[in-house]
Amino acid sequence: MKKIYLMMILTLITVVLAACGGAEGSSEEGSDEGEASGEKTQIEYWHVNAETQGGESVDKLVEDFNAQSDTVEVVARYNPDMYAGLMSNLQADVAAGNSPAVVQVGWAFLDYFSENFHYMEPQEVIEQHHEEDADFLEENFLPNILDLAVNSEGSQVGVPYSLSTPVLYLNEDVLEEAGLDPAGPETWEEVREYAKAIKDETDNYGIYIQEPADTWGQQAMVESNGANFIEDGQAAFASEEGIEVFEYYQDLVIEDESALHIGWDQGIQSFIDGNVGMLFTTIAQRNNVQSNSEFNISAIESPGWEGEERRLPAGGAMLAITAEEEDQQSAAWEFMRYLYSVEGISEWTKGTGYVPPREGVADNPDGLQDFLEENEMMQPAIDQMDSVVPWASFPGDAGLEAEQKLLDMRDVILGSDVDVEETVTNTEDEINQLLD
Amino acid sequence: MGKKYTNYLLLAPALILLAIFTIGPLIYTIYLSFFDWNMISPTKTFVGFDNYTELFQSETFRKIIFQTFQYIILFVLLNTVVTYIFAYIISHLIDRWKPIYKAAIFTPSVISLVVGSMLFLWILNPVSGPVATVLGWVGLSIPNWTVTEGTVIVVLSLIVAWKVFGYNFIVLYSGIVGIPNEIIEAAKLDKISKFRIFTDIIIPMSSATGFYILIMTIVQGLQYVFTPIRVVTQGGPNYLSSNLIYHSYQEAFDLFNTGVSAASSVITLVIFVVLLALQFLFVERNVYYEN
Repeated sequence: MKKIYLMMILTLITVVLAACGGAEGSSEEGSDEGEASGEKTQIEYWHVNAETQGGESVDKLVEDFNAQSDTVEVVARYNPDMYAGLMSNLQADVAAGNSPAVVQVGWAFLDYFSENFHYMEPQEVIEQHHEEDADFLEENFLPNILDLAVNSEGSQVGVPYSLSTPVLYLNEDVLEEAGLDPAGPETWEEVREYAKAIKDETDNYGIYIQEPADTWGQQAMVESNGANFIEDGQAAFASEEGIEVFEYYQDLVIEDESALHIGWDQGIQSFIDGNVGMLFTTIAQRNNVQSNSEFNISAIESPGWEGEERRLPAGGAMLAITAEEEDQQSAAWEFMRYLYSVEGISEWTKGTGYVPPREGVADNPDGLQDFLEENEMMQPAIDQMDSVVPWASFPGDAGLEAEQKLLDMRDVILGSDVDVEETVTNTEDEINQLLD
Repeated sequence: MGKKYTNYLLLAPALILLAIFTIGPLIYTIYLSFFDWNMISPTKTFVGFDNYTELFQSETFRKIIFQTFQYIILFVLLNTVVTYIFAYIISHLIDRWKPIYKAAIFTPSVISLVVGSMLFLWILNPVSGPVATVLGWVGLSIPNWTVTEGTVIVVLSLIVAWKVFGYNFIVLYSGIVGIPNEIIEAAKLDKISKFRIFTDIIIPMSSATGFYILIMTIVQGLQYVFTPIRVVTQGGPNYLSSNLIYHSYQEAFDLFNTGVSAASSVITLVIFVVLLALQFLFVERNVYYEN
């Protein structure tokens, strides 16, 4: 008898260990080829894309680039722990004197990166080494998109690469059951009516507004109402319009009880399981939501506020050039030029779910035209690109602490029936004290 | 003389590793707690005791110390008291299926806490998880625990208990089984109640093992609970699920306040030294060592 239990436990252990072993990522793709062709300039490209988050696209792009370039050999290096992990690795390597040539910098680190590291503005590199591309950025990028990579001192730190915006996902079955128009709400005022109707008619939650460890979704709501998160390097969300939004948000959760207040994973899971009618979250969740839900699902553009201009913060990252040597800088642009080509961006969008950052890809038969026809839910995210604004990044060392205070504020407002105006004003004061 | 050297030589590998990975970082942490530094900037600013005063004046930090003790009490309850009772029941009050109970209780110990946290997040989803669904059939609901004061700490402790219960159980079980059976049989003949056998024979005679488990529960529990906090709540809502160890991590690696984090680590160290000293003073003197 005892042997059987022992066997059972051993089998279990083996299964668990085998499951854990599969997660190791390859970090230094293509280094063998580099040694073979000595005359090529070798540069490093640092990214944060694990296997499940577009890592395969990175490998494919690098491989294809190396195959077609006679002058440059790129080595991709994966950095765990997303953009923060990349920042600390970069610090260590720069201190040791080996800068990579091209790095992904998350929007939240825009100011932090440009204050602490040496970089070259892409346009400067282009003009020095690649005259023929002098108009490339201007011609292919919307000005509001390029501005995402401009820091508080007005320097173009990099070129936008990974782009995401929030969209509103709809459970059409629930909407129908509640007798609502399946086309969905266009404004936040309508969202409240929809949510209430869903709550009353179907006993499901009306909406879940994403609550991960950042306030990106909340910024979209506040800025769309005409308030600014940051003005002249100071927190400014406690304006009349800003407070109005947080009061609205609290009312949804506490007064109407039509909005779900819960962590991000559980919130998305609840939507996928059909217990929430609408989901306000990033387009980067499309694949997850679409492939796991069993109801009729659609995605529509982010709601705005009546009579106000909609403004949506961008999520994702840009590519910045950190190469020190001139030949490395030139090689860095040659590689970036390839990544930003129609084929490069198409591959990237398909592999990751990000929105193409440049023009001329979505409607291009060589680009994403076929892909978008099959994946209709991507369309709203592309259509709303003209509303994109930078993700508020508080300057200086205290920036990250300021972001933490915003999270605490969200918890307090949604946790109980506190005075919103007082809470928001206090948080703004605290952040501005930190920044001084 | 030569023999003496050999002894030290044999100890050396362990001592060197201990010095590099435990004592070195400890001293460096104390040093860093007097500076303002963001881990990346080349300059560290000396600020004296500012980091410490900032922490002690912060209401949040006092809340976090209080919650740390809440965690400890829950861990002792779940992973020492309840485990002890389980080990007693299965070793002496049950005759059949013992191996199955042992295997079932021990199994979670080999599963990663990250996996466990994700599982519980799904099982206990108050809106669409299986527990909520089953309770829904009889008109009950579970609280929205990830964002509710109090319940968030209880559930996170339960996740940790799920993980460490098995190991603690096996150790206590072997401690209890090691007690000579004649004594217990004699007590049974004298019609001593099962409860008194537990309190007057089992606990005193296995107290060496029990004391080890008690210390491990307190010291390791807070480190274990780091994982579910990281996965489930990130310390929220508004620090209500944070504890000293998580807070030190958050200050250092989310906010890059290296100095404040180091100060918080030093305070944690002091609290634990005091706790352990108290335990050795008041608990250890009552422990029975067989040899």
